Amino acid sequence: MKAGNVLRIARWETTRSATSLDRETAIAFVVVAVALAAIVPAVVTTGPTPGEGIYRIGVDDDSPYADVAASDPQLAAVQPGSDADVTVSPVGIQYADTAKGRAALSTLRSATVAYNDAVMADEPDQAAAFPVVVSLTYRPQSIDVTSAQADTDGAGSSTTGGDGGRTDTPSTDDGATGTSPTAGASGGGLSGLLGQAQSGTPSSISPPFPLQSLVFAFAFLLPLNIVIQAYGSSVLAERIDRRGEPLLVAPVSRGDIVAGKTLPYFAGAIALVSVIAAATGAGVLAVLAVAPLAALFLAATFLGAMFARSYKELTFVTVAVSVALTTYAFVPAVFAEVNQIAAISPLTVVVDSITDSGVSTGQFVLSTAPPGLAAFVLFGLGTGVYREEDMFTQLPIPSKLLDALAAPLATPRRAGVWTALFLPFVLVAELFAVALLFVAPVSLSIPVLLGAIAVIEEVAKSIHVFAAFERGQYRRSFRTALAVGAASGVGFFVAEKALLVTQLVGLPGLDIGRAAFAPALRGASPGLLLVAPLVWHVVTAAISAVGAARSRLAYVGALAAAIGVHLAYNIAVVVIALG
Amino acid sequence: MGNPRVVLARRTLGSLRSEKTIVLALVIQLFIAGFSSFLVVGLVSLYDPGTANGDALTVSVGVTGNASSDVAATIADDDSRSVVPYPSQAAASAAFQRGDVQALVHATRQPGGRILAAATAPEGSFRTTLVVTELKGALSTLERERRADLDHRLERTPVDLPPDERSNPYFSFTYTVLLPLLAFLPAFISGSVMADSMAEELERDTLSLLRVAPLSLPEIVDGKAIALVGLAPAQVALWLLLLWLNGTHIANPLALLALVAGVAAVLVATGAALALRVGARREAQLLYSFVALAVFGVASLLPQSPQNLIARLAVDSPTTLTWGLLGVALTVAAASYTGLRWLAGGAET
Amino acid sequence: MISVQRLEKRYGGVTAVDGVSFDVGAGEVFGLVGPNGAGKTSTLKMLCGLVEPSAGDITVNGFDAGDTAMRRTLGFLPEESPLYDEMTPRSYLRFFADLYDVDRATANERIEAALDRLDLDARDRPVGDFSKGMTRKVAIARSLVNDPDVLVYDEPASGLDPLTTNTVIEFTRELAADGKTIVFSAHDLHHVESVCDRVAIMRDGQFAATGTLADIRDEHGEVSYRVFTDVDVDDARPSNGRYVTTVDSMADVDAIRAAAADAGGGVVDIRTDESTLEDVFLDVTGA
Repeated sequence: MKAGNVLRIARWETTRSATSLDRETAIAFVVVAVALAAIVPAVVTTGPTPGEGIYRIGVDDDSPYADVAASDPQLAAVQPGSDADVTVSPVGIQYADTAKGRAALSTLRSATVAYNDAVMADEPDQAAAFPVVVSLTYRPQSIDVTSAQADTDGAGSSTTGGDGGRTDTPSTDDGATGTSPTAGASGGGLSGLLGQAQSGTPSSISPPFPLQSLVFAFAFLLPLNIVIQAYGSSVLAERIDRRGEPLLVAPVSRGDIVAGKTLPYFAGAIALVSVIAAATGAGVLAVLAVAPLAALFLAATFLGAMFARSYKELTFVTVAVSVALTTYAFVPAVFAEVNQIAAISPLTVVVDSITDSGVSTGQFVLSTAPPGLAAFVLFGLGTGVYREEDMFTQLPIPSKLLDALAAPLATPRRAGVWTALFLPFVLVAELFAVALLFVAPVSLSIPVLLGAIAVIEEVAKSIHVFAAFERGQYRRSFRTALAVGAASGVGFFVAEKALLVTQLVGLPGLDIGRAAFAPALRGASPGLLLVAPLVWHVVTAAISAVGAARSRLAYVGALAAAIGVHLAYNIAVVVIALG
Repeated sequence: MGNPRVVLARRTLGSLRSEKTIVLALVIQLFIAGFSSFLVVGLVSLYDPGTANGDALTVSVGVTGNASSDVAATIADDDSRSVVPYPSQAAASAAFQRGDVQALVHATRQPGGRILAAATAPEGSFRTTLVVTELKGALSTLERERRADLDHRLERTPVDLPPDERSNPYFSFTYTVLLPLLAFLPAFISGSVMADSMAEELERDTLSLLRVAPLSLPEIVDGKAIALVGLAPAQVALWLLLLWLNGTHIANPLALLALVAGVAAVLVATGAALALRVGARREAQLLYSFVALAVFGVASLLPQSPQNLIARLAVDSPTTLTWGLLGVALTVAAASYTGLRWLAGGAET
Repeated sequence: MISVQRLEKRYGGVTAVDGVSFDVGAGEVFGLVGPNGAGKTSTLKMLCGLVEPSAGDITVNGFDAGDTAMRRTLGFLPEESPLYDEMTPRSYLRFFADLYDVDRATANERIEAALDRLDLDARDRPVGDFSKGMTRKVAIARSLVNDPDVLVYDEPASGLDPLTTNTVIEFTRELAADGKTIVFSAHDLHHVESVCDRVAIMRDGQFAATGTLADIRDEHGEVSYRVFTDVDVDDARPSNGRYVTTVDSMADVDAIRAAAADAGGGVVDIRTDESTLEDVFLDVTGA
């Protein structure tokens, strides 16, 4: 790859996009952008409630509950006797015994609490109006005896969390005595949601709910979704009517072309993310953390645009990419302040950067390396099919996928190299499975997770081998199958050993994390510990390779067998390890 | 039979089917719905694991201080909490460190009758949210009791709380978030596909082939639009059916589908108009996303936003305004579609 | 200049090119003819390194096909000439000149010269509005921005109107006169006949015949004789008060002469017919 060529193509891609905007379209963009800029503040200030008026409260105008109903937008006051969900009468409160009736009652109850607080705030005797004042602090607990931390500090003093150096501000108990606690609820609101010390009345205390990270997730991911739309179109346009063919004959490598076409979009995405980072008060670290994610968005879109047969298909591909990657970044980040699992999402680094919590190197690597490597591999696969034979043909997506997977496998040894390269995806998929399953009880989550891991790893070890046999890259013989399978197994083992980053962040501190990433055999000899996984990876990879060499059906059967063997081994190891 | 629009509509649907994109579209919608549901179930279970797992966890709270008896009484009030009294803060702290208790409350009575509760919750544990929720519940009860005791010092009496009946925590989410999402996503995708489809015909110059056949541009637009506008309510009907099978009662299904068809018509007309004017897919698609966002933004400023309309209709709390706005939406749909046909007719000459 | 040895290309189970070998000398114009699907385009694309051969060797100008250094000395004109609609001919050509490392001044000079020779005046309008002939001219100009030694042209004149076809063919001939080595495919034999030094006729991925046009005609062409007699003999057809018999050897002519004499008449005229290139083409390709 030559920087000069890449820059030339990047410059061309940029100017081409700029000149292709005719005046009418450019004006339309400006008009829509201005309109959006005007609408957004209006929407934010009016704050429409999607649940407005969905519960009907039958109440007389002179009842105190009429004021309660008026205070909550979800509640609509109606005359008693009409089809109300909850009816307030002098006798008491009746509610329809339906899901809606119960939900209405529960909403009325919480609205009453809020209403009472508002009324009490006007009382002259605040000590009687708010007779309880709470100050809440968080302190680490060292329940795990194996990693016991000596923590001799007194209550409320500054302590350091075991997971990454977050420092709490010391909070004094008398913080809320003198003045009205509702008005002066210190550290409530957003900082409360982010799990920091707070004090105030009982109802002003909020459990740590990472609402912020949801908002940030959208703020940081939205520009990526817009950029990949334009990028996907640009890549697919090269394939329509063979437009990109002359470029392939020019004295530049495929890598130059792909890098050159991608660079402006990547730079654009980073620029947008930087603007958002500046606006939300996030630091450089946040931009660095989102960069690999941006690359992964682009890489997945690139591969999708190389496979799509039409713009329609491309739309679905980009939506699928958006949804899948947003989920990956989003779900773990929801638990940013609550659980170590959040460390797998780059957005956690963003949240930590905004709240000024420290990020350890291990955390940073864990959250950015897998998407970064995955982006690298996807670009590799896409560039592999960036050639005349694949670009301009109209094959269905699965068939192109097989082409892309088979293309780099020139020798059996390459099968091992590519298995190793797939490891970021394995890691991403497994981390995601952990994120999805960690709320479930251990008795359910660990078996399901072990099954998921067996499927993910066996597919990663064999899918490209299958593709290579299907596309005639390897001779369909038993001996070749064994060689390829062994290479794939060794590749996986080597790459997995390189994956010790998970150990750096205490993810194995979680029961489920340990099951996924550190199934160490207790009491076994070190030699066995090293050799057993190697043998086991080679055996399972060889099983599926032999099937792949035979036929499609045989591959499916052999893969199922390999997954079975894998699962049996995993269960045995976990049972021994966890007792 | 021989209506060219029907032929074209069938071809549009046929291409969606043959490319299996419609399957992909449904999978994407299912994924988004599943994702948002997972999020809510996950978050609710953080606050209240009992709702997710069936077996409620018990939070044990270590209590110290001269007002510990008041606090202990309200904490022990609920089955999901238990109280462990400690003689000193140091002892309680040590117990917390060991994990014997999940939370600490050091309660002291102030001269004015106020109780100061210094609460400590575990940091960075996935039980934190639950622990804080339970502490909050106990201390709120204490607050109400103390207010009742101090009634003589208050000018106004707090309103009595309605009874605490266990309700489905996902109820509101289902109607106000999940359902609107499932209703508007197909409409948005239909508009996007329309823009793609028109831009592609223009870019590949296959539009001229269609026009050589005895078809006018408005007819071509009709053919594609019939298919795509119709597809949106069809998908939503499928989701409604699934929700109904899942035990979620959906009221006014026909009105809901009419609203979806109306929104789809507006978005499809927008997509087609942009593709016709702009010609290139990349720009048309980008502009479409922005315009669609703006349309939803403006609509959410209405007295009842589209999301709210869906929720009210489905949960059976429509007002006269709801029906009026439904009428407005359908009128706007008809108007934008007429506008598109006029634009297509103009582009032809 | 170009050497191709036992070239093969298989797409899945289909063999597009099946063991083709040929050499093209410097300054020579080599034509590939054959029906659609004979493997011409695949052969040309392998020559420029666009498509990886399944087997065989190609060297162009001393480099392996696909080598970056080789690409610098090669100009390729694909069968279709889609351009980027929003670009103008000048901006499009400058971009490619840039990719080939041609400095700005030289590039401008070459671009203007090529467009002048091709008679294209609309140089600053988006090519999206262009006719097929105009886009073809831009595509041809693109193949020349790097002043290549070797030109690979796939059906340069297909689908153009007669006037533009003439311009393109004439221009190709001028390029040949300039000393360029040209490999050229066509299914229209007139173009081949007027430009090429040597041709190969392709059929089912193989060369059915190669050589100069004269060689091919000699080898595959047939000579026939029309013998005119003034009396009716076996197999003769009446023609303008005379009788004509078509035969393909001198022995047959002698036999007719004897038969006519027996009938009391004689041979009044003999005409020799050589088969045209079209006839040879139809014959060789089995059409």
